[in-house]
Amino acid sequence: MNEIAQKILTDAVTTLLGEDSVHWTKDLKNNSYGWVKLCESGALELLAPRLAAARARLLTITAYRTDKYARVDGREIAYHFDLDGVVLTVSVCVDEDPPRVPSISRWFRNADWNEREFMELYGIKVENHPNPRRLFIDKDLDAGQLDKLIPLSTMMNGASTKTLWEKVFSGMDMPKWAKEAK
Amino acid sequence: MSSTYTLPVGPLHVALEEPMYFDVKVEGETVRAVELAAGHVHRGMEALAMNRNWFQNITLTERVCSLCSNSHPATYCMALENLAGIVVPERAQYLRVIADEVKRIASHLFNVGIMAHLVGFDSLFMHAMEIREIMQDVKEGVYGNRMNLGALTIGGCRYDIDEESKGFMLAQLNKLKPLVAELHNVYDTDPLIKTRTQGIGVLPLDKAIEYEVVGPVARASGVNYDVRRKAPYAVYPELNFEVQTDTAGDVHSRAMLRIREAVESVSLVEQCLEHMPEGPNQLAGFVQIPEGEAIARSEAPRGEVFYYVRSDGTDMPQRLKWRVPTYMNWEALQVMMAGCQVADIPLIVNSIDPCISCTER
Repeated sequence: MNEIAQKILTDAVTTLLGEDSVHWTKDLKNNSYGWVKLCESGALELLAPRLAAARARLLTITAYRTDKYARVDGREIAYHFDLDGVVLTVSVCVDEDPPRVPSISRWFRNADWNEREFMELYGIKVENHPNPRRLFIDKDLDAGQLDKLIPLSTMMNGASTKTLWEKVFSGMDMPKWAKEAK
Repeated sequence: MSSTYTLPVGPLHVALEEPMYFDVKVEGETVRAVELAAGHVHRGMEALAMNRNWFQNITLTERVCSLCSNSHPATYCMALENLAGIVVPERAQYLRVIADEVKRIASHLFNVGIMAHLVGFDSLFMHAMEIREIMQDVKEGVYGNRMNLGALTIGGCRYDIDEESKGFMLAQLNKLKPLVAELHNVYDTDPLIKTRTQGIGVLPLDKAIEYEVVGPVARASGVNYDVRRKAPYAVYPELNFEVQTDTAGDVHSRAMLRIREAVESVSLVEQCLEHMPEGPNQLAGFVQIPEGEAIARSEAPRGEVFYYVRSDGTDMPQRLKWRVPTYMNWEALQVMMAGCQVADIPLIVNSIDPCISCTER
């Protein structure tokens, strides 16, 4: 059964991208993993309906920087599909300026949450997304939080505490010595 | 005259008392539409994971979720083992299955217990929790912890089972078995449970496939997918167990399925204890994680857990992403809740065994 699913996935990819576009690995329990690299994000819109027609299931979507933190530019998104126990990972290069990819939630309903999540965490625009609201992160926060390295020391340098106490003290009738001490 | 109004449910005190906000459109007592608002407890754990080394992340991933807390480090370690081509000693693979199944029994009993509480049958709730306590004692006795077992390491397990703890485990399982059978019977026949849960929160097969739900939620709707069978790992190929499925797809069938799975898990632990070979329980020495990418999956109590790891050859991950079972099941609530009564909302929410801290990481 594993081989059949593997062949269906291979066919779906190779009829679009040509032979050798998918690379297969196996783990020690003989589970197959397929790896595809798409250098143009537009091709995703052609591949997704083929995988959907093959009854593949979207497992999840992983967005990441190809470096770790803003040392060089470059984002990629890995789409993980499953067909009867065989997993196919399609890595897509993201067009820059502005970073954007097409939405695949037309073919995979559960892409909705995944796309909304990487929109807010990596600041990647998803074109034609039916419902591009924030999913987890509050709308007051900047998009692309996972693009940035914010050292803990910067985040917790006491600025918030000082502002807080200034507000507390300003509304209080306090002795002079206490105001000087703060 | 009928009119629709919006009923805010949450963010606290829906079933498991974790914060999730439901914007429910109601007509009279009937639910017409549901909208979810998440993000109350987002912890940014994926960002944390990229700032910790491979070993520190075992501890971190174990804290993603309390009930599936063995499946997370287990799947994380499996992803690394796939990437580095590490062969886990056979005894360690048995030990991993034991830890996973012990957690599954406790998790399922917790969920069905809460269901009894939400139905209003509190003596049954306490009874189910009392039965679960037998497994909590196993965890405390064998692993030293009642929730996070701390059982896993890259390339093996951090604990071992000697003759004494093997005897203790078998005795506890023998104590558990008749009680779970009795529990199954009560849930199956009690008129109060049946009236409140049968035909409630139905998720038909086509919708289960469309929403890509996983775990007991999918299997109760007729999707025969269990990672332990479809993409075998550890020693599951050598063990005897039946993947439980049902076709009713309602709150009752999901609960019954969990009890049946707990029974299977008891048998799996027994098989492991019987067949576990002698040998090392972990690799000697330190492992190097090479550059590359890998994935791993496992069947957590709530369903399929997925890990993706990317390494740039340093001692910290370039990217570590995980997807939890609950993440897939939330949206299906829109189908399950459409047309239900307001009073059934907590029951239906609980029936997907939701984990908010998992979802938001």
